[in-house]
Amino acid sequence: MIKIWTVAEFALREILRRRGVLLIMLLLPLAFYLSRRGDHLGQSIRFVCLGIGWALSTAALFAGSAARGIEPRLRLSGYRPHHLHLGRLLALWTVGVALSVPYFLLVRFDQDNVRYDAIALIMVLTVATAAPFGLALSAVLPRELEGTLVLLIVVGLQMVMDPADSAARLLPFWFSREIGTYAIDHTDGGYLTRGLTHGLVAAVVLTALVAVAATIRLRRRPHLRFVSAR
Amino acid sequence: MNQRGWLDTLAGELRRRGVDPELTAHVVSEAASHLRDSGEPPLAVFGPPGTYAAAVADSLGTAGTAAPDRVRQPASSRPGPPGPVRLDVRGISKRYRRRPVLTDVNLTVRAGEIAAVVGANGSGKSTFLRICAGLLSPDAGQVRVYGTLGYCPQAGGTSDFLYPEEHFALVGAGRGLSRSQSRTAGRDQAASLDWDPSGRTQARHLSGGTRQKLNLVMAGLGEPDVLLLDEPYQGFDRGTYLDFWQQLWRWRSAGKAIVVVTHLLNQLDRVDTVLELTPARETTS
Repeated sequence: MIKIWTVAEFALREILRRRGVLLIMLLLPLAFYLSRRGDHLGQSIRFVCLGIGWALSTAALFAGSAARGIEPRLRLSGYRPHHLHLGRLLALWTVGVALSVPYFLLVRFDQDNVRYDAIALIMVLTVATAAPFGLALSAVLPRELEGTLVLLIVVGLQMVMDPADSAARLLPFWFSREIGTYAIDHTDGGYLTRGLTHGLVAAVVLTALVAVAATIRLRRRPHLRFVSAR
Repeated sequence: MNQRGWLDTLAGELRRRGVDPELTAHVVSEAASHLRDSGEPPLAVFGPPGTYAAAVADSLGTAGTAAPDRVRQPASSRPGPPGPVRLDVRGISKRYRRRPVLTDVNLTVRAGEIAAVVGANGSGKSTFLRICAGLLSPDAGQVRVYGTLGYCPQAGGTSDFLYPEEHFALVGAGRGLSRSQSRTAGRDQAASLDWDPSGRTQARHLSGGTRQKLNLVMAGLGEPDVLLLDEPYQGFDRGTYLDFWQQLWRWRSAGKAIVVVTHLLNQLDRVDTVLELTPARETTS
């Protein structure tokens, strides 16, 4: 456990020193929120949640790509793959929670007649999903530009696709539209149940994908055997 | 260069040439005394400290004077009988597409030995080391490491936004060291490379040579039994380059098995084993 905390601590330090990235991360959801605040308050809530997801996924993508150089030597220094990916996920989840709190407060004091607990749930699920989503992309697409383009496509589709379309459920943040409808339009609990189920499945599947990718990439090759020194 | 700086540089140059520490202190003390008495600037009296150190070392018979990089290993640090096998590489073959890079390569390195892997560009030196480190799979062959492994890559291997001492803490935690143990061990090894890592400079702002010093120190943290070093001296100035070889000899004296990739043939008189790799031609089969 000490090793996981150590990786988390230094991953967090790395992220916090990227001040330009942090500033953009902080402002991106705000831009999404303000874009529809004037004409459609409910849509602005949906957009701010999506903005948080996009910002955190991008940060995770870059953090994952930056770690590729040092992780093999950390593996040789006594870390196991799960120490490395869980430590990094913990750091990103912490950043995500810190990013979400001010936006939850913004919604709480700027909007009336919405279910705030459901908004909080969307943000928790968004953070839980966005961090492994970005890390999974960095694992599959080692070049940052390719990963960023894929992220752009996913978030773009998320914004334009009809949530009722069954193909939209394959998108990682579909739950935010579903729970958002429950929170803003006060629909029945079916939206909440479907959204919650989707969010949990997306978070678990993406986290598992990160774990599998890290285990494969940082596996001990069978040709190398360590024998205790005599 | 003031008198203090000149004397410090002289001490460093003598150390790099393998002059005994007590003798070094004596020579520096004598020079300081002479300068004090004469009141003349050191450059006018003795010339450049490197040249003077080479002359002193030559007169003592511990090193050549023609070129500092031809320094021989100090006789006192030569190992005794060969130690147990620490790295055993058998029948390694590797091809990229149709081009064979390594064909049936064998290497055995014992405790207290330095093995140099030499060869032209594209001969598979780094590939061989990455296979030894388990970062790359061969097509055939196996590697046995008796003990723990430290690896210094040719480039990369650091985290851009962390300070050097944070790297020590990160690697040290993997080796089971506490923060203070990691910092102390890192500082000690850095000092032997004439580097003070205590500043708050992120790795991305370090010069290429200093970043490689960081890489080298990270490889040696936790006292691994086997050290795999892939041209770690890139970007080193001449003084640091000599310090690097002194560090290698210290590791050898401490019973480490070391494999160092190099393409500089003038280093080969300093090692125990040489593995020469030759670039293979593309096959049509």
